[in-house]
Amino acid sequence: MRRRAALAGALAGAAIASATAALVLPGSGPAGVEGDAEHAARMLPAPVVPAFRPGAPHGLGSRRDLAYWAPVRRATLARAAPDRTAPVVVAVATKTPEGTDNALAVLARRPDASGTRWVRVRLAALPNGTTGWVPRSALGGYETVHTRLDVDLEQLRATLLRRGRVFLRVPVGVGMPSAPTPRGRFYVRNRLTRYRSPVYGPVAFGTSARSETITDWPAGGFVGIHGTDRPDLIPGRVSHGCIRMRNGDILRLARLMPIGTTVRIF
Amino acid sequence: MITLGELDRDEALLEAIARLCGPTRAELLRTTALGGAAMLAVLVARPASAEAALSDVDILNFGLRFERLQSTFYTQADEMGTIGRMSNPKQTWAETLGAHERAHVKIIASVLGPKAGPKPSFDFGNATETDADFTRTAVAMEDLTVALLTGVTPRIHDRRLTAALFGLLTVEARHASWARHIVGATPAPAAFDEPRTLDSVSGAVKRTHFITGAPKMTSSSSPNFTG
Repeated sequence: MRRRAALAGALAGAAIASATAALVLPGSGPAGVEGDAEHAARMLPAPVVPAFRPGAPHGLGSRRDLAYWAPVRRATLARAAPDRTAPVVVAVATKTPEGTDNALAVLARRPDASGTRWVRVRLAALPNGTTGWVPRSALGGYETVHTRLDVDLEQLRATLLRRGRVFLRVPVGVGMPSAPTPRGRFYVRNRLTRYRSPVYGPVAFGTSARSETITDWPAGGFVGIHGTDRPDLIPGRVSHGCIRMRNGDILRLARLMPIGTTVRIF
Repeated sequence: MITLGELDRDEALLEAIARLCGPTRAELLRTTALGGAAMLAVLVARPASAEAALSDVDILNFGLRFERLQSTFYTQADEMGTIGRMSNPKQTWAETLGAHERAHVKIIASVLGPKAGPKPSFDFGNATETDADFTRTAVAMEDLTVALLTGVTPRIHDRRLTAALFGLLTVEARHASWARHIVGATPAPAAFDEPRTLDSVSGAVKRTHFITGAPKMTSSSSPNFTG
């Protein structure tokens, strides 16, 4: 019953539309079909102008200084090889001593014979430069960065590069001879602000580097990149291993350097 | 069958849907199969009371979130070398889609300006690491995006914005067809676009939780560094 009513409604609508067209469009009728169509086409309004149009698609650009990192989602063991039976290198926690989520720099990825995926990571462990394999399932989503911080211990200078281009170059204070800043390749793993320690300036970055001489420091002697309350000592070999910058410089760096940035100390 | 609740771990998408469609419909979507006819029906149906409250900014932000999901997916697979290891036709396909999605993100974020929502964190699991996982997930994602844009575009008040979103929708439909062609499926399986065909690839998506809570990487703790 309902379908019959709908059909009747549709037929009535069509009849009304035909009658309307005959009234509105000159020449309507069997003899002027093509002319009617042309006329109707001329009467159609122009398409609505879109409010925006995407720009031309573009590629990814330079991959220089590309690096990956991932947060640690569950505590796990880093092993010497991508194999559940391989020797343990170090235990990996989900948090850093500062209470941030732990982050690991990703170096390689590989499945084992059973299909379990493993990730080779750079570890914040002594000796500096230690790497290990952790299960992919222990990590969160990958993040990519295109920045690298070069710290030149001879020139007492730090340079931030993005995709190979220099964005910042500033003088630094580095470790004194009795507590040298370790050389090697590391990464930024957290950022601290609004703390009440003026000796560290307004911003401090935690890195995966650790002092090889001051190992009994609270939390294990991690090397940071931070500001200072003694800008007069920069540049110089004045720290216990950390990389110090003038406060204006560390603030500029904080605007440019994301978590996961590779830190190369040489 | 994957559901939005399974995919949207921190409920960011459900929040966005609740703003667009009302909390009742968002809750219904939580358990509705992704890409299925039921999901499309829920998205397209007129809301009882929330429509008057919809703003174009909300809808654009909803679109931006999905474009970011896609853009990050393709970009990550490209940067990790997964796309570079594919055959030439697949590389062209994946690189083209990635470039389009990045352009979409850029323009929508630009249109929204300071009203653009924050970028979510994503965890694609293994989906960006192998050719097979990547391809299956891409097919699912493109079909899903078509379904969602089909649902939200008619809700835009500004006709010029509607016209622009239709431009995006048709491109996403082309992406979906191309993706289906890549995996050997029929690019246009039906006369009316109901993305039921997502079922065939939902197995790979089911094992993923794409949108995650952002890791906490900053703190106000006093540094313990050696100084």
